[in-house]
Amino acid sequence: MQTTLDADTTPAPAHIANHPTHWRNRPFAAHFRTRDDDFDASKFGMWLFLTTEVLLFAGIFCAYAVFRMMYPEAWSNGSHHLDWRFGAGNTVVLLVSSWTAASAVRCAQLNKQKWLKINLIITLICAALFLFIKFKFEYSVKLGDGKAPGTFFSYAFAESPYEILWWSLYYMGTGLHALHVVIGGCLLGWVLYRSWKYQAYGPTEYLMVENSALYWHIVDLIWIFLFPLLYLIH
Amino acid sequence: MSSTDHAHHEGESYFDGPPGVLSKVWQWMSTVDHKKIGVMYLVAVLFMFFLGGVSALAVRYELLDPVRTVETMNEAGEMIQYTTGERLAGLTNIMGAKNANEVYNRIFTLHGAIMVFMFIIPSIPASLGNFFLPIMLGAKDVAFPRLNLLSWYIYVIGCLFGVFSILLGGVDTGWTFYTPYSTTTDADHWRVVLMILAAFILGFSSILTGMNFVVTVHKLRAPGMGWFDMPLFIWGVYATAIIQVLATPVVGITLLLLVFERVMHIGIFDPSMGGDPVLYQHFFWFYSHPVVYVMILPGMGIVSELLAVHSRKHIFGYRAIAFSSLGIAAVSFLVWGHHIFTAMGELAAVLFSGLTFLVAIPTAIKVFNWIATLYKGSIAINTPMLYGLIFLFTFSIGGLTGLPLATLATDLHLHDTYYVVAHFHYTMMGGTVMAFMGGLHHWWPKMFGKMYSEKGAMTGTVLVFIGFNLTFFTQFFLGTQGMPRRYANYVDEFQTLHMISTYGSWILLLGFLVHLGTFIVSLIAGDKAPPNPWGGLTLEWETESPPIEHNFHHEPIVTHGPYDFDKVVPPHWDPKDYPLPENPSSH
Amino acid sequence: MNTPTLASANMPFFQKMIFGDHGASEAAAWSDGLFMMITWFSAFFFVLLMGLMVAFVIIYRRRPGVPAKPSPSHNLNIEILWTVIPSASMLVMFVLGVRGYAMKMVAPDAAMELKVDAWKWAWKVTYPNGASSPETNFLSFESNMAQLEAGSTDPWMETKGLEYPVFYVPEDTAVSLRMNSQDVIHSFWIPEFRTKMDVIPNRYTGYAFHTPKLRDSDSVLDTSSMMQIPGRDMWIFCAEYCGDEHSRMAATLRVVPQETYDAKIKEWGQDKDPVVLGESLYKTMCKICHSVDGTPGTGPTWSSGNGFGFGYEAALANGQSVMRDDNYYRESILDPNAKVVSGFVPSMPAFQGQLSEDEIHGLIMYIQSLSDRNPNASESGEDNQQADDSAGSEG
Ligand code: HEA
Ligand code: HEA
Ligand code: HEC
Ligand code: CUA
Ligand SMILES: [Cu+2]
Repeated sequence: MQTTLDADTTPAPAHIANHPTHWRNRPFAAHFRTRDDDFDASKFGMWLFLTTEVLLFAGIFCAYAVFRMMYPEAWSNGSHHLDWRFGAGNTVVLLVSSWTAASAVRCAQLNKQKWLKINLIITLICAALFLFIKFKFEYSVKLGDGKAPGTFFSYAFAESPYEILWWSLYYMGTGLHALHVVIGGCLLGWVLYRSWKYQAYGPTEYLMVENSALYWHIVDLIWIFLFPLLYLIH
Repeated sequence: MSSTDHAHHEGESYFDGPPGVLSKVWQWMSTVDHKKIGVMYLVAVLFMFFLGGVSALAVRYELLDPVRTVETMNEAGEMIQYTTGERLAGLTNIMGAKNANEVYNRIFTLHGAIMVFMFIIPSIPASLGNFFLPIMLGAKDVAFPRLNLLSWYIYVIGCLFGVFSILLGGVDTGWTFYTPYSTTTDADHWRVVLMILAAFILGFSSILTGMNFVVTVHKLRAPGMGWFDMPLFIWGVYATAIIQVLATPVVGITLLLLVFERVMHIGIFDPSMGGDPVLYQHFFWFYSHPVVYVMILPGMGIVSELLAVHSRKHIFGYRAIAFSSLGIAAVSFLVWGHHIFTAMGELAAVLFSGLTFLVAIPTAIKVFNWIATLYKGSIAINTPMLYGLIFLFTFSIGGLTGLPLATLATDLHLHDTYYVVAHFHYTMMGGTVMAFMGGLHHWWPKMFGKMYSEKGAMTGTVLVFIGFNLTFFTQFFLGTQGMPRRYANYVDEFQTLHMISTYGSWILLLGFLVHLGTFIVSLIAGDKAPPNPWGGLTLEWETESPPIEHNFHHEPIVTHGPYDFDKVVPPHWDPKDYPLPENPSSH
Repeated sequence: MNTPTLASANMPFFQKMIFGDHGASEAAAWSDGLFMMITWFSAFFFVLLMGLMVAFVIIYRRRPGVPAKPSPSHNLNIEILWTVIPSASMLVMFVLGVRGYAMKMVAPDAAMELKVDAWKWAWKVTYPNGASSPETNFLSFESNMAQLEAGSTDPWMETKGLEYPVFYVPEDTAVSLRMNSQDVIHSFWIPEFRTKMDVIPNRYTGYAFHTPKLRDSDSVLDTSSMMQIPGRDMWIFCAEYCGDEHSRMAATLRVVPQETYDAKIKEWGQDKDPVVLGESLYKTMCKICHSVDGTPGTGPTWSSGNGFGFGYEAALANGQSVMRDDNYYRESILDPNAKVVSGFVPSMPAFQGQLSEDEIHGLIMYIQSLSDRNPNASESGEDNQQADDSAGSEG
């Protein structure tokens, strides 16, 4: 669909064409036998790392399940306080961004430099939008009501003494996730910067794009679990 | 093990650097060479071992006698009262503690936390593993050299957090940080948070190292090296790395929740808010049980090398040993509950007891295979081999005493007694540390290019063996007779056994000092080590001692198995220096 | 015989060396037997393997010029053998372990239920009639008595430690425990019954045991009558780390004839002089932190002098000060962290819900009796006046 627009396959401007960070000129790590080995190794490493991320959140999910069994009313009350529309909105935002992140990888592989950047920018805008919705319409409103974690909890209308646990887990889960959104945004921003400046990514050199996108998919995936657990199941 | 050329090259060894102290320091601190990083880890973990050892000696010193309040008449006929047996009381003010008991509690916590998080988990994989894993695979480096350096820095930062917490007075939570005690003690101090963060940060280092090793094993084996041509040390480290990657994140989130619990009472683990303290224990042991195999699997790997090389025998049941490492790694995730039989429901207890026995089977298989390896060998008695044999002795005791702990009826009695203390010292100290010491001697000539004095090392070994058994064998009896662990004070009738144990710890100290001296003398005045002093067949013996910058002059190609002593002449083997029994094929 | 002992005679040598004494119940003896079985099994394999190891090292020690002889690299039969034998034996251990576990956990229907409460750092046992035990016992009392009897006076030396509460149970009875903690996790361990269970805040745990029949030789010193009575003492230890005084969170379990038991709990169930009640509560529950002779402890001393004690102003950690009167004491007991005395860490457990009105009253009366401004003491009317003055001047 983008082929018609492709001025992108044209060679890089002269001043970066021979730049060592330009994708055509990047070497691979010397201790690997081939560029493919280097690439596979890095991707494998990334997958392992993503496994650890999932396991990190597994702790939160376990705690969620345990307390849900212990205090079903508190959990139901808690989730009634969340507005599913914001959650759903953010889900859509993240799904779109996941799609653009994947397209960015594809563009790098096809050397569509312009669309690479456009996709990255959309992804970043989505990330920002996600955080904006989260902080503006959810966190700040709830904190204002006193539905805060732990010692800061001062919501006067809690119907169950255990609602405080619900809020603690809510903030731990979504806060940790928001932190991951920020980290993912930084990674993608770095990729954007380098492709802007040096055309650092292209058909033979798109590892960083791919790994950042993978990371972004995991951020998305975790949200896909958090959303129904927190917002939908009462 | 390969068909590289056998001529000696005058290559630059990995630690020849630029002249000038500053540039040398910079060269080390910014290095991405796995060998240098391995050596840096070695120095750091040995230092932590020393710190942990010193606190262990303090623990033992306090336990020389029970605390007594004595009331007596002085010369003037007045009644006076004094306390005996509070041997660490002098530290009360220095540490800012409330009383002598708290001093003791802080010291055993530091001992446990330092030994587990800062010493034993990184010990073998990060030092010897880092140094030898790539070389034994025939690679130039680990898959991600910069990440490797980063792990080291993260490790150091973690240790600094821990040390900082100690300087502020230390923590008295026990290394397990059980809630609600850990979330309420010293409530107005940051020390506990610092220590928990230390463990959290160290976890990251451990994850990164593990990831690095898994990828290295998958992607960087030399041409011709199939999975079953790998030395067993690699198998051990590989299985370890898998556990590190899969278990550590869980403790990461647990410790994070704990920190939030302390600083803002989120309530998840706090019973007074409806939280569940036993949930914390489940989370903690979900990591900390697999982690005991992180400690032991690399040690088992080393022992396989030691026994094979120094008896010049192929390993009996190579595949069984390799697979049992993976088996242990897999099953280890299912047994965490055996640490909390006294806090869980009946059904769960029965389930976990059964699963625990499963994990003992692959270990038993390994022990049988090792003994069978010795059969018809050509067994040299030198320090590495001696440590290998000591490992079989002490680790078997440690493992076998795990059986009554896994048995429900008996664990109800033994849980949280000195029986458990003895069990885990026999596995950690008698298993991992003994293997580590064996590996250190085995690879010392390779790492530093110097031979050590066999006499000095043997003396140290014998002292360590005697001291170790005196210290900890007594503790089995203490435990069965009713001595609970983490007690600063105890009932009079336990004193004799405690005294023997303390004397043993002094002999241990002596043994380690002899080792330390031997190593230092070797570095300063040791004979130059030949490339292959023991006649080993794995790839590390095919390069110089110490290895050159990128490990090999030419990329090695593997043409035989790691333990084919009956088929292959050891490369670089100079019978003049180090006579070995001849091989059939060398005639 | 006043201190609990863990040692007694006539049992197999190794078992004696390992446990020091028979388990005191059938379940305990059973689990000891299982332990010995596992130990002998382990010893067999250990000796076998180490024997082989040493033999191989000697027989096949290295001789220059003699290569290792060829030998098989694996042998399926023997490998199956040494997988199946340990697996099968461990299956046996597992099954027997579960059986012993059931013996220790499951209470017969007729079992007498004791309520156990724990906090930093004391145990309290409540009997079925609602009474709790006020009796205490010195750790090293016996050696002192022995020395006295032996007439050794030079130097006259007494070792003493803390006083521990003594809990009574009747002989040959099934007992079940219902346990709960006020603060952190503790663990109620009676070594002679070979069993323990964690005591957790906010939830009940428990186990059961059957007390032994008394032997003819069993006798203990009854501190309330200072007479030897038939009975057998056992240690109770806290086995889960719980802080500073974890190692002194002990108590004595005293097995006595049914009549003695009945008489004791009947007596304790009756109303008492508040000061006496207060003092016995003090000894079992507060003494670990509070002294009554002015010596400093984890908590402030209760005797007067040096700015402590009833009727004296308390300097608080927040810089304010408050008069120590009845209400202050009541609050300090029920909600200790409301006003923290300066120089002390707020580490006292809250006794809200733990103490009856009578008990709180008793404690306050006892604390008052320790002060030289005791309002109830007839001869110290003046001091009392003084106290009122200073209270007035403050307000
Ligand atoms: C290196 C560390 C290490 C290793 C390898 C092990 C190995 C084992 N451990 Fe241990 N353990 C610890 C470190 C370790 N442990 C620590 C640190 C604690 C306490 C933590 C704390 O509370 O602070 C602990 C506590 C602990 C408990 C909890 C006790 C309690 O608190 O109540 C239990 C209970 O099941 C247990 C069981 C086992 C078992 C069954 C094995 C098995 O894997 C052992 C298998 C080995 C053998 C069986 C011996 C070798 C085989 C032979 C000689 C052949 C013949 C054998 C047969 C025929 C069976 N361990
Ligand atoms: C790797 C793990 C490890 C190691 C090696 C040790 C080693 C030792 N441990 Fe410890 N121990 C633990 C892990 C370990 N421990 C843990 C996890 C706990 C539980 C903590 C808790 O309950 O929270 C514990 C608890 C514990 C207790 C129980 C405390 C209690 O419950 O009250 C005791 C008591 O005797 C003890 C003693 C010792 C002794 C005497 C040594 C000795 O073996 C030490 C000997 C070492 C030295 C004397 C150092 C000498 C070193 C040098 C001189 C430099 C080195 C240089 C070279 C080798 C070249 N340890
Ligand atoms: C864990 C140790 C501990 C135990 C057990 C304990 N206390 Fe305390 N107590 C303290 C500490 C510490 C303080 C001082 C800090 C504060 O005021 O909270 C204190 C303060 C007090 C005070 C105020 C004293 C003063 O002089 O102002 C009273 C009264 C008191 N405790 C009563 C009791 C009673 C009654 C019991 C037993 C039923 C008891 N305490 C058990 C630790 C303890
Ligand atoms: Cu209570 Cu330890
Ligand atoms: Cu375990």
